[in-house]
Amino acid sequence: MSKKCKERIGLTFLNVFFLALCFATLIPILYALSVSFSGQNSLLSSDFSFIPKDFTFENYKRVIFGEDILVWFKNTVLLAAVTVTLSLAVAVPAAYCFSRRRFRGRKTILKCLVLLNSFPALLSMFAIYRLLRPVGLVNTGVGLILVYTGTMAVFSLWNTKGYFDTIPMEIEEAARMDGASDLQVVLRIVLPLAKPSIITTALQVLIYVWNEYIYATTFMTGEEKYTLAAGLNSLQATEMTGSWPVFAAASITVSVPVLIIFFLCQKYMTSGLTAGGVKG
Amino acid sequence: MNKRRKERLTTCAWSAPSMILISLMVVFPILYTFYISLTNMNVYHWFDFSVIGLKNYGRALFTFDSGFLSALLATVLWTVVNMVLQLVIAFVLASLLNIRKLRLRRLYKTLLMFPWAMPGYVSILLWKTGIFNSQFGLLNQWMEKLGQQTVHWLSSDLSAFLCCTVVNLWLALPFMIMIMDGAMQSIDRSYYESALLDGANWFQRTRAITLPAISPIIGPAVIITVFTTFKQFDVVYLLTQQAGAKTGSGFHKVLTYAYENAFITNNYGYSSAISILIFLLLLIFSARYQMKEEAGR
Amino acid sequence: MRRICSLLLCLAMLLSLAACGQPAADPAEAKRLVIWHDKEDGVIQAMEQHLQAAVPELEVVFEKKTSLTDSLKLVGNDPSAAPDLFIFAHDKVGVFAEMGILAPIEELLAEGALEPYLDMTLEAASYGQTLYQLPLYFETLLFMYNRRYMQDEEVPKTTDELLSYMENNTGRGRYGFVEQHSTAYYSAAWIHGFGGSIIDETATPFPDPLAVQAALEYHLNFVALMPGETEYSTVNTLFLEGKADATIGGPWMVPSARGAEIDLGIAPMPVVDATGLALAPYSGVQGIHVLKHAAETKAAAVQQLLAALTDPAVGIELALASGCAPANSLCYEDARVAEDPLVQAMRSTAEIAVPMPNIPEMDVMWTVVSNLLTDVNLSGKPVEESLQAARKEAEQLIEAMK
Repeated sequence: MSKKCKERIGLTFLNVFFLALCFATLIPILYALSVSFSGQNSLLSSDFSFIPKDFTFENYKRVIFGEDILVWFKNTVLLAAVTVTLSLAVAVPAAYCFSRRRFRGRKTILKCLVLLNSFPALLSMFAIYRLLRPVGLVNTGVGLILVYTGTMAVFSLWNTKGYFDTIPMEIEEAARMDGASDLQVVLRIVLPLAKPSIITTALQVLIYVWNEYIYATTFMTGEEKYTLAAGLNSLQATEMTGSWPVFAAASITVSVPVLIIFFLCQKYMTSGLTAGGVKG
Repeated sequence: MNKRRKERLTTCAWSAPSMILISLMVVFPILYTFYISLTNMNVYHWFDFSVIGLKNYGRALFTFDSGFLSALLATVLWTVVNMVLQLVIAFVLASLLNIRKLRLRRLYKTLLMFPWAMPGYVSILLWKTGIFNSQFGLLNQWMEKLGQQTVHWLSSDLSAFLCCTVVNLWLALPFMIMIMDGAMQSIDRSYYESALLDGANWFQRTRAITLPAISPIIGPAVIITVFTTFKQFDVVYLLTQQAGAKTGSGFHKVLTYAYENAFITNNYGYSSAISILIFLLLLIFSARYQMKEEAGR
Repeated sequence: MRRICSLLLCLAMLLSLAACGQPAADPAEAKRLVIWHDKEDGVIQAMEQHLQAAVPELEVVFEKKTSLTDSLKLVGNDPSAAPDLFIFAHDKVGVFAEMGILAPIEELLAEGALEPYLDMTLEAASYGQTLYQLPLYFETLLFMYNRRYMQDEEVPKTTDELLSYMENNTGRGRYGFVEQHSTAYYSAAWIHGFGGSIIDETATPFPDPLAVQAALEYHLNFVALMPGETEYSTVNTLFLEGKADATIGGPWMVPSARGAEIDLGIAPMPVVDATGLALAPYSGVQGIHVLKHAAETKAAAVQQLLAALTDPAVGIELALASGCAPANSLCYEDARVAEDPLVQAMRSTAEIAVPMPNIPEMDVMWTVVSNLLTDVNLSGKPVEESLQAARKEAEQLIEAMK
């Protein structure tokens, strides 16, 4: 009885703690939310409250119907889907090799990659432009996909490889005894076991693509080719004319799909490993 | 023999796409930047630039004055402080989120991920104008309500450093929590059950089971985060150093310092030389760290 | 590692092969002109409508580009990626002219087409005696006040009057006057008011350091009566919420001030008592630039377009659509333009305003001056020392450009 009671008090505390933490974390976002519902065009106000003044949906209406946001949304979804798929398709086999096979230079390459990846990106853009220009990939979705996949490639490789390392070899060997090929082993055994890492990698790539605007605005021309982040940036780019409530509404609108995806992914975050991989 | 060869071939084929992409988008820019650093590419020689050897490096070394050194120190401090806080906070939160009876776990996790889903520059802007602004920011509005003096949060070095750290943690923690959470999910519950039977307390369990189990999994992500924290530019630049909206703090990171002292000159040769030198510094740092780590084993 | 190298080589070869197979230019392309811009929709719509009526045979495509200057530095003169023309302020003319991507404008225009243009705009758009931009409209900062708090007869004529007004009306969360005091663009007005300048034509930073020093020292009296942080949104909000009686701001503030139902007054800039000169803000001339490749391959279309844009009707439409002050003096013959108080105020301020320097060296001065102002106004460092440090920094940066 007393143990149960103690546990209940502990849980209540924990829930209160998390509620408070979530609230604290969300303050800047609640701020944006409040501005986005407000009828006054200002980000600042001397008597701010989390409940907007002159409550209105006008800003959201303007975002959804006034701008090309549906076109941008379509562009972004397409871009993100292809980039995520490609990133995983490229990273998983490589990560598997780097995790399972032993070859000369394996460790060196891995270390080099992470060091090279730390090169300040401020000047990479120029070089990448020089690379994509002659092939006619500037101002095309394919070009952007290549840039994004390449930029995230080291991360994807490292992150998946790290997880693969923790999956015991014995599980695979059993399957190999049954005559499964490399591909089958990866698809049927390694991937399901590595779900949490695959999902975190995919989410990180997704969020990078979703929120990246520097390449998207510099390499792409014309509003009909913008991604959401690029469009959002252009909404606010000329500080002088930008409308804060619309900008805030657009920021929230842009973030919501990512959150939904995140919420849906959580169910699959648990690895199959605990469900009885080795023991089974 | 044949089998080994076949294996080697598959290894090559399987890693090739990844390696090619990395060479194009990561390695090539570095080589190209190095090449440009040897030329006189600037506003006056935009297309007709020619190789001028190591001249840019000679000039770049002059930039590495006391201002640069203090920026370098600040950057190292920034990386250490941020990484330690990130790891500790993320670990504690992830462990708490993994307490079994916590029903609302998914809701909390999703809410905590919100900062990650917002585009970075939007969040930084929100923090700067909504929270830290000395006239209208929430912090000062609350200070006023509490009858306290208002504070210029971003104008002195130390408080700017702390504010930037808070914002950086806010931006980076969701990912860290997620990685840790994912790693903890993969630990076999039965370990804990037997540890509990043995009467181990939370600290013992953490030390004996959780840490060893998650460290190989989160290791790569942590290492990559160290580097991104080191080269993090946006937070510091947008919060305190943005041209036209400087707040008066002298807190500079290597990159913001290089930005103000080289990149704005439109001299690509010179800026490239500085980028390469900063990159070399980073290599030396990590090489030393690695040597120590290997010696420690 | 060797494997990576060879792969890279193979790929490079493939890429260069692919590059050879680019499609040849389409003859219909010669009638199609792409214009990059980063302007608000109202301005572009007005231009688009005018062009559709004036030159229906041309296909003019306006493309909004947020990071316009950075993108131009990347694409340069490359016909496959660069636009044919772009609309931007005149202050980057020097950079792009030195890069060699701009075509001189005068030879693309009919003789005498430039005669009605205001001298200030043509001067601003020229770099080294060559005109590289066809001016469309210009903007300067204006002295604005809220009639609810500052009566017309209270409007300060001199800076000392402004100071005493501020002393009497600042406190308890209210301000007599606010401006972005630590931003180079705004502080230039004060520096000019003391006869100094940020950079001269020969790229000497702070050619008259004593004047700059006097301006900064005097300006500190005003800074003390303004909030510490004064970036755009703070100043804007203070004025729009009626917490500041007066401000110096651009024409872009006018629509939001009207939206906030402020009884807006616009007055001439106050005169500095010590020198007898009025505060002289920078002016920016917005205009259209032609890229070299377009001038060479699409000369006919470009000439047609420019001719259509020299028509005073464009300026009138722009002025009516978004309160811009046209660069073409003929536009002011239109009664509606002539009577617009905002346009009038801008035109009279333009007589004292100093066009932003357009030499490439100015690019680094924005940062130098903004650092100097931060040191002096926000960190409270001594003016003389900070100015000396800033001069040294400026010289180093300018040296580093070469």
